[in-house]
Amino acid sequence: MSAVEATDQSQGGALNDWLRERISHALSEFTAATALIVLFIALSFASPYFLTADNLFNIGAQTAVIAIIAAAQTMVIITRGIDLSVGSVAALAGVAGAMVVRDLGFPLLAATAVAIGVGALAGLLNGLLVTVARIPPFIATLGTMSVGRGLVFIITGAVGVYGLPKSFQLLGNGEIIGIPFAVVITAVVAVGVAFLLSQTRFGQYTYAMGSNLEAARRSGVAVGRHLTYVYVLAGVLVGLGGMIAASRVNSGQPNYGISLELDVIAAAVIGGASLFGGQGRIVGTIIGAFLIALVRNGAVLLDISIHYQQVIVGLIIWAAVYFDQYRRRRLESRG
Amino acid sequence: MAHTTTSRRPRGHLLRAQAILAAAAAAALLSACGGVEVRDGDDGATKQASGPLKLAVVPKAVGADYWNTVKAGAECAAQRAGDVTVQWDGVTTETDVEGQVNLIQNFVTKKVDGIVYAATDSRALAPATDQALGANIPVAMIDSGTSPQPSGVPLFATDNKASAVEAAKLLATELGPGNHDVALVEFQPGSQTNTERVDGFKAGLAQFPNLKLVGQQPSRSDVNEARRVTENILTANPNLAGIFAANEPSVLGAAQAIQAAGKSGKVVIIGWDAAPDEIAGLRNGQISALVVQNPFKMGYFGVDKMVKHLRDKAPLASADTGVTFVTKKNIDSPEIKAVLEPSCANPPVQ
Repeated sequence: MSAVEATDQSQGGALNDWLRERISHALSEFTAATALIVLFIALSFASPYFLTADNLFNIGAQTAVIAIIAAAQTMVIITRGIDLSVGSVAALAGVAGAMVVRDLGFPLLAATAVAIGVGALAGLLNGLLVTVARIPPFIATLGTMSVGRGLVFIITGAVGVYGLPKSFQLLGNGEIIGIPFAVVITAVVAVGVAFLLSQTRFGQYTYAMGSNLEAARRSGVAVGRHLTYVYVLAGVLVGLGGMIAASRVNSGQPNYGISLELDVIAAAVIGGASLFGGQGRIVGTIIGAFLIALVRNGAVLLDISIHYQQVIVGLIIWAAVYFDQYRRRRLESRG
Repeated sequence: MAHTTTSRRPRGHLLRAQAILAAAAAAALLSACGGVEVRDGDDGATKQASGPLKLAVVPKAVGADYWNTVKAGAECAAQRAGDVTVQWDGVTTETDVEGQVNLIQNFVTKKVDGIVYAATDSRALAPATDQALGANIPVAMIDSGTSPQPSGVPLFATDNKASAVEAAKLLATELGPGNHDVALVEFQPGSQTNTERVDGFKAGLAQFPNLKLVGQQPSRSDVNEARRVTENILTANPNLAGIFAANEPSVLGAAQAIQAAGKSGKVVIIGWDAAPDEIAGLRNGQISALVVQNPFKMGYFGVDKMVKHLRDKAPLASADTGVTFVTKKNIDSPEIKAVLEPSCANPPVQ
């Protein structure tokens, strides 16, 4: 936040702030990355089953959906928004993708396009609710969450969509030279979104709006249109994630993604995103998603009950945000 | 570990590095794959005939009374067999199908000796079972099987449909002759267990032309929701004479709604399951009868048969674990007690 707000300072000050911002980002990701690496090494020693190709394959495939949807959530969070509808929209997209395969015989690629389209429409709706109807993101997406879940139950009659061909599992359970296909997709998405956010005007605007919406508006950013784009793009990713999730269980599940929004917000926050906007990066979010996945995987391997897993994830959220704040304060006080 | 150094690079704040880093983070775990390539290894192909066994037992979800009884049964069988460890783990809600798929996969990579589980979704979990079998890990299903159910994978469960037919007959008996309006509080439309109980109840009801089904609403396994829908059914049908509630939260919510309406004892409730509050409701007359499954036996059979399979090569065959109809009259009999308060000293597993 500080860097963008402080742009009216002298050139030297701005450069300093820019540097500080960079270091602060690097440090918060460094914290999460260090935690990830430490946990990875610890689990390698603690369980003989951890560092096996099968297990790593599973972790990758299990994390892909969360990582992709968390990337979407991160974009929205950077704008100082929130998207509570991700779980419902992912379910709607996955169910829609499964239904067009089952009922209309769509090929997988076309079905994926349908799922992405459903996500994009939901994103557009969210964006218009926020920008045109001026409903705060929390409320706007809360409504979409409810409407989306209702639609899922209506179109499916609350029954899962089954009877899909084996090929439907490609996205979620397929592999390319030993790497889960879902992880390849996740990597492509991560690189793409990271590039968008860090290298393009779209990215600059996104951060600028989150840091100070009014300032962004006055500097000539078409705030409404741009914010809508962010929600649409997030919806695209959520649709894709929902399709992969459906593929993983070879069916469209009407109950998929209940409380998924909390998992992905956790991943984003652990990775350094701030709910006050203007901060957050995809690399951090991906690290956050894998950190949570490692805890879940490790808990099974080490026979730690689900109740403790939840406590551990909560502790990680606290710790990540605390260390992040602590470092930021120190950096700011030094300047 | 090459991936370690890659992931650390955020320190140097090269702008262009960011995009690469995102990929590196996603691929970090995978880069390790190359170093320890053991896929398709033939380890685990043969099982020890004796020696310690480690079994995973996975409920549909952790936390409910019902599943804790399954757990007690599983642990009882493990204790009696000797040298068997049970790792009990599950997702937090029965709707978390993907979470359960992940969990089963994790147990497969952990190379447990056997997996005993209750599928949250019959078709979505079928590939997970295949994965375990492919890794030479035998699987036994409890409570809820998969579709298809592979040969060699047994199911130890209640015959829900047949039991629900009986529940309808019981309701007819309680209500006696004359025309009566009845309602059905189901729990999770679309779930296999729910479908079986609903179909069974309706099939049973069809034998009694004097009973008319005037309402059917789902509780989504939530007590508040069950209370709400029952209140609405009652509002729409003031002459309602009987309710069949198909699982624990549905029964509790229905009983609360009936009580709040001041119709306790006037509206006959036939319930399912035997949570402490349901037993209390039975004793004080709010509930007429409960269809009680034998979750202890499911857990017990799951582990017991699996151990015999692993140690003595005994074939795994499905079994109906049966239901007991509990009423105010028979609730204190020894057989009913053994089912309601199962203990390893006197396990209800005959």
